[in-house]
Amino acid sequence: MSQRERKVNANPKDVLTGVYYIDGDVAAGYGALAAGCKFVAGYPITPSTEAFEAVCHRGPQVGAVFIQMEDELGSISAIMGAAWAGTKTMTITSGPGYSLMQETIGYGAMLEIPFVLLNIQRGGPSTGVPTKTGQADMMQSRWGAHGDYELIAIAPDSPQEMFDYTLKAFNLAEKYRCPVMIMSDECVGHMTEKVVIPEADKIEIEARRMYTGPASDYLPFKPDPDLVPKMAKAGQGLNLYITGLVHDERGFPVKDAEYRSAYVRRLVDKIRLNKDKIIELREEGIEEAEVIVVSYGISSRVAVKGVEIARQKGIRVGTLRLVTVWPFPDERIAELAKRAKAFVVPEINYGQVVFDVARCAHGKANVVLVPHGGAGVHNPADVADAIEFAARQETPIQGVYEFKTRLEKSVFEGGFKLKE
Amino acid sequence: MNSIIKALDKGIAQSGIDRKIISIPSDIPFQPAAVKTLGIDYFQTPRGRAIAFGSGLKLGNPGLKIMAVVGDLMTLGGNHFVHGARRNMELLVLCINNFAYKKIAGMPVRSAGTAFSAYSTFEEPFNFPHLGNSCGAVYTARWTALHIDELAGSIAEALNKRGLSMIEVLAPGPNYYKSIESIDPDILQFYFDNSIVKNNEDPRNVAITSEEKIVVGKFTDKDSKNTRGQIHAARSATDAFRRERWLR
Repeated sequence: MSQRERKVNANPKDVLTGVYYIDGDVAAGYGALAAGCKFVAGYPITPSTEAFEAVCHRGPQVGAVFIQMEDELGSISAIMGAAWAGTKTMTITSGPGYSLMQETIGYGAMLEIPFVLLNIQRGGPSTGVPTKTGQADMMQSRWGAHGDYELIAIAPDSPQEMFDYTLKAFNLAEKYRCPVMIMSDECVGHMTEKVVIPEADKIEIEARRMYTGPASDYLPFKPDPDLVPKMAKAGQGLNLYITGLVHDERGFPVKDAEYRSAYVRRLVDKIRLNKDKIIELREEGIEEAEVIVVSYGISSRVAVKGVEIARQKGIRVGTLRLVTVWPFPDERIAELAKRAKAFVVPEINYGQVVFDVARCAHGKANVVLVPHGGAGVHNPADVADAIEFAARQETPIQGVYEFKTRLEKSVFEGGFKLKE
Repeated sequence: MNSIIKALDKGIAQSGIDRKIISIPSDIPFQPAAVKTLGIDYFQTPRGRAIAFGSGLKLGNPGLKIMAVVGDLMTLGGNHFVHGARRNMELLVLCINNFAYKKIAGMPVRSAGTAFSAYSTFEEPFNFPHLGNSCGAVYTARWTALHIDELAGSIAEALNKRGLSMIEVLAPGPNYYKSIESIDPDILQFYFDNSIVKNNEDPRNVAITSEEKIVVGKFTDKDSKNTRGQIHAARSATDAFRRERWLR
């Protein structure tokens, strides 16, 4: 089946067309159901609980199954099973649950199971701050499971985008047969805004790439020219043999280094070689900019105000928003590093995506991190100050420069005392 | 392993179920290529997650028949088993116990030690049929690799049960058993000498110990606790409760 034929319109029953005033979690739940998701397994965890509630309430009305499993390990394993039963699947989690799921995310990548994982990030590490925000799972989403694999991670910044990009996540998962992470955060998850859900015939859905030929010819891991194999489902009479060991096209385990290289290479390449089609960036005022603010998720919305303040001071600032954080836009950042003086990266952690920016800038532009420990968002004035600092800095800075925010100063220099 | 494949083949044939709709999600220890000859769909899952994976398969397509084959089940996937039985998920759990990891039923011969506890062990093993029975499994049985016909019969019966059924199979790990002096290298002879068939025995009395003979047989066989009628009754009771609460 060609690429064009696999595109179908959403089922009108699944889509709650209308204008709503809902939070990001609920919007993501509605987005999943609109995409045709028919199986959700999860274990409730703050701050993603509203997404469960949405799916739990609305799911059975459109024929979707929702099950509260015994734990996150069970949830992610159940969605792997349901994917092989032929349904579109999703699980929803946050912080500690996400850590528990990592082993099976690797299994999903290995067996090329299309699934979506909605991670509403919270403050960490460990139990952290369950009710407040964080962006400190970004590197875990990239390197969480053992072994080499590539996946797609999306960081929406508004309830509307939670709907739109949950839909898109399902389409990407089906198209590339890989795990897709929606790396949202508590602020976006709990932010209540206007969400417009379009009519079903305006929503394009990627149907699963199913094998339709004779059973005797089926090779479960024989890739199409775009490196993605066709999928089958249990009960089709195809006599599947599926294993998480490195396997050949038939699915049988193989140990040779040659096979391993060929197989794992393909897992990686099917994303890397299609990077240009997957990556989505939002650029603004970037052509003339001396300083470029690189941000994602909620930090990109806070940065807007910071950029505004800096522009009033006459600094030429551009913004680059990473809508898809992984795969990372290496070439674009490298290209901008040749023109711009510095990158300013506000993120709610002590440096994760900023190191990839520095890697791609390759010493050609300074890289300034505006850190935040979590449980809150940046003060826009800090972002503005960091931009000003970066614009005034004439000498190259080695590595990543960590900007001292007002919060950090008050804690470490301003006589901040713990409550007695 | 061969005797288990043979028993599976016979059991599936006896059950009268179309092989096409049978799926075997399996734990790490059970991944013989020979399973392909059974004409079923086979999935090797992450360690210990066969039952959770099977639950997903079953809910994703309720028309499938799922047979989760697990090894060291009660450590890595114990919670999935307990909750699968509690929620009456329609699965057959086939637990292959070769004493190797000693958590399910344990190496009963204390003085010998095992490959993973060179100086023997003082931990008590699980009584697996009893655990299954108390969690709500509708069918529990235990057989050894010697009892192929009985095992096949149990598989056929259990595949047609509505609810979670479990069968424990004591099966040899030949290479590994060579290292244990007190087990006869001819393991089938060992099973023959040391097992006793007691059908319908109370599962509380079937723990594997070093003093007594291994009790095998079918221990539990009851009807599914959640019949359609009961679910319907529960639902209307909830509705009535809600109506009352909201009308007040």
